[in-house]
Amino acid sequence: MIPKVEYYRFKTLDDALRFLRQYPDSKILAGGTDLIVQLRSGKTTARRIIDISGINGLSYIRDEDRYIKIGALITIEELKNNEIIREHAQPLWMAANNFAVWQIRNIATIGGNICNASPAADTVPPLIVLDARLRLQNVDRQREIKVKEFFKGPGETVIEKDEILTEIVIPKRDNGWRYSFIKLGKRHSHILSIVNVAVGLRTDKDMIEDVIVALGSVAPTPVRARSVEDYLKNHRITRTTLEEASQKVVKDIKPISDIRASAEYRIEMSKILVRRALNECLKNVFTTQ
Amino acid sequence: MEGLTYARIVKSSVPHGIIESIKPGRSADHPDFIALVTSEDVPGINQVGYYIPDQPALAEKKVRFHGEPVALIVASRPYSAEELRELVEVRIKPLEAVFDPLEALKDKVLVHEEYGSNIVLRTRVRRGDIVKALQESEYVVENVYRTGYQDHAYLETEGALAIPMDGGMTVILPGQYPHLAQSIISRVLGMPQSKIRIIQPVIGGGFGGKDDMGPIIGAQAAIATYKVRRPVLLIYTREDSFTSHCKRDPAYIRYRSGADKDGKLTAVDVDIVFDAGAYANRGPFTLWRATAHSTGPYEVPNVDARGVLVYTNKVYQGSFRGFGNPQIQFAVERQMDELAERIGLDPIEFRLKNILRPGSRTLTNQLLEDSVGIGEALARVAEKCGWREKRINYGKIVDGKSRGIGVACAWHGISTSRGVPDWCNAYINVRRDGSVEIYTGIVEIGQGTHTGLIQIAAEVLGVPPEKINLVGGTSDAPDTGATHGSRGLSFGGTAILIAASKIRKRIQRVASRILDCAPEDIEMRNGWVYSRSRPEKKLTWEEAVKRCYAEGEEMTATGYFFIPKGRFDEEKGQGFAYIVFSYMVAVAEVEVDVETGLTRVLKVWPAICAGKIINPKLATTQIHGAIMQGIGYTLMEEVKLSDGKILNPNFTDYLVPTIADLPEIEEPIFVEDYFRFGPFGAKGLAELALIPIPAAIANAIKNAVGVRPSEIPYTSEKLFFDLSKGRRK
Repeated sequence: MIPKVEYYRFKTLDDALRFLRQYPDSKILAGGTDLIVQLRSGKTTARRIIDISGINGLSYIRDEDRYIKIGALITIEELKNNEIIREHAQPLWMAANNFAVWQIRNIATIGGNICNASPAADTVPPLIVLDARLRLQNVDRQREIKVKEFFKGPGETVIEKDEILTEIVIPKRDNGWRYSFIKLGKRHSHILSIVNVAVGLRTDKDMIEDVIVALGSVAPTPVRARSVEDYLKNHRITRTTLEEASQKVVKDIKPISDIRASAEYRIEMSKILVRRALNECLKNVFTTQ
Repeated sequence: MEGLTYARIVKSSVPHGIIESIKPGRSADHPDFIALVTSEDVPGINQVGYYIPDQPALAEKKVRFHGEPVALIVASRPYSAEELRELVEVRIKPLEAVFDPLEALKDKVLVHEEYGSNIVLRTRVRRGDIVKALQESEYVVENVYRTGYQDHAYLETEGALAIPMDGGMTVILPGQYPHLAQSIISRVLGMPQSKIRIIQPVIGGGFGGKDDMGPIIGAQAAIATYKVRRPVLLIYTREDSFTSHCKRDPAYIRYRSGADKDGKLTAVDVDIVFDAGAYANRGPFTLWRATAHSTGPYEVPNVDARGVLVYTNKVYQGSFRGFGNPQIQFAVERQMDELAERIGLDPIEFRLKNILRPGSRTLTNQLLEDSVGIGEALARVAEKCGWREKRINYGKIVDGKSRGIGVACAWHGISTSRGVPDWCNAYINVRRDGSVEIYTGIVEIGQGTHTGLIQIAAEVLGVPPEKINLVGGTSDAPDTGATHGSRGLSFGGTAILIAASKIRKRIQRVASRILDCAPEDIEMRNGWVYSRSRPEKKLTWEEAVKRCYAEGEEMTATGYFFIPKGRFDEEKGQGFAYIVFSYMVAVAEVEVDVETGLTRVLKVWPAICAGKIINPKLATTQIHGAIMQGIGYTLMEEVKLSDGKILNPNFTDYLVPTIADLPEIEEPIFVEDYFRFGPFGAKGLAELALIPIPAAIANAIKNAVGVRPSEIPYTSEKLFFDLSKGRRK
């Protein structure tokens, strides 16, 4: 059952931050799609809940000069239906399209998906690929941190107890970048990922000039597949290169067995999904011989 | 409701142990605390066992599975009940537990020590000379098959409201047989059945599970009500439903079968182990059904089918759409494909050589005189789906995916087995204004049977369906038997047919006097009562009813019918099994992602032989639902256990198919093989449509990628590793 909690709801960020400074053991509720379940299962022991869903000014998607800025309270459904996201944050848009069910998408927020720090969070590998930064704020100051550096382990992040994630900043890139996002579950929709992969890359003729590969659900935190990236950089694109590069992912991941899949299956699927995600990015660029 | 209280179950957190004490602990200090109810509060007999008296309403002395209800906490508010149950102090001394049914057969750990063995019972069907037949068979194939638990995953979890009333009790519960609930509640309360009134409202999904759980949760609520003397609403949360309600029986099946050089089946030799879990519940009947269907719908002259039901320290099994039959038909139909491959015959050709036809004898040596349409169904579905061409062209990898097509047959005996008595009844009352009331025990669980029953009465009486009010699922109706065994429309309908025919005769008698013609000449249709030979001589239905009231014709009638049955000789393993069988053929087309193992069912072609189809729309929707439930059972629904504890008691990780997994379902072929005791020739089909689905999908997967599924659920991960093993070979 859901235990008894003290529940506080704030209209302004300042009020919420002041309260959080005073009661640093509080838990932030945005959409609640993870938090309520965790309260129920006992995974969260916090008994003081700060509901930030009513805070004005954290729900926006802005197209600024060099950045896309996303307020932390933007829902997954809003990402899915947004043209700016579709154009400038393509893998995030793809992840939003494959995210849970409509009812969940309507209340789950991007900030919540990040801060919940599930290794399987679908928005995170795309944000890594997009080189996104997270803006964290407390009463006194704000700071920015790379999304990749945000996670410490399942459910664990570097966020300080008095901080709230307020904004996701995505640098705009030139048009040469291509993206993909693929997830695998045990049925065809409404599913938690066994493995998810996001890829971003830029080609120069038949060479891969730059590439970022990120995976979820195959390690304690979402990971970058550096071995795959290193292998691909400045390599000619051939079917063999992609195949060989995908095999390298084994060095970058450390999956566990759980009730959704065995570690062995996750390893095999990581290789396949990386190759597919690379192929997906390149499908209109070249045809493999 | 005045004085309503709320209850939750308090559950065992060990799979096997001795109850040392159950105390309210700090829960009693809470202002909303009303009572803690334990086995000591049961006024009558603490027994809800269906066939074998082995199951307490609330655990007594021992617990036998993780999640077993040991007590009920009653509070004045629902939320408090949730909170308080976690404060109850339950002390249980753990005992060694046994989880694997094959291990349990060794009797090292006894689930019910008073019985001296974990074996609940054995079943056997024998025909011919199995040893000789296997020796002489040209082809023999042997395999082991395993099937897992399946949760009903109904929309509405278990819940019951028990209200003290008129010196007895009224219990509103989600059951499938009001009179069974009445008798079980009467037993636990020590109160005559006549003092217990059962109301089963329209139920949010049953699939058999509510047949078992209705009486059990009703009994639990009634015990609490008896103690607190106030209405008690007991509700299982979704997690409670997963951990503590019965499921489809897991099975282990070793199957050996043989054929001669012409492709005629010669022998079936099979061992069936059903995992009962902690209590026998319906296991004796599901196992018997599996045993008696273990050849599939084929002529097999030599059979030895042995079943054993065994206790383990896990959640118990129960009724579930197909009732023991989906497990065995999965083995039968995988085996048929394996044999066909060995012989070198096309799977449909092989089946057609052996299929049951009118005049065939079943494995129990029962003669099937008529109502056997499956041969025609098989031929027609093969034609419709383009079998030959697809079977040749499929199994080729294109873009990492491979398609396959597979077939499976099924048969399903209608009503209870052997000589187990079965009857039905209904009560009809034509009111003075011509409106009609029907009382039946048959329950509406979303299957639409009440609509079909109204159609039957409307047809017999010649009145528009709008005039009929059907009151179903209540102990106020005569004992109609259960809404299970695919008998709701067939036997429930027969009772209404009989009752309505009595009233029809009386109206014909009165109308013939008024209209001055012979009673046989009176027709009743569309609200008119008229002379068939001279249609201008007519009365309105209302006028006819009014005259019956005026002239002393009784306008009430019951429709009792005792289903004729034969005898099954348990010693010889031969005899009467079921009064009639429904049949089905399913062809499934799948696409397997050969890299991930993810299977998509693309299309299903159903062909059904369920006698006269009373309402094709309802029949079709039943088929659709059964196919989806079958897809879940085959590909993804998996209860994960660790030391008897269910690890995925939620829909996040117990995966049922979603609309995205829905295949195209072709318009069903109905072969209307009339059944003489069914209303207008109808048989049942509710369970049937699930039964061939697992093997049809598995056989299609075999056709697509060459693996041989021997286990369900056959998840993408299992398929992937089977495929990799095959590649390594």
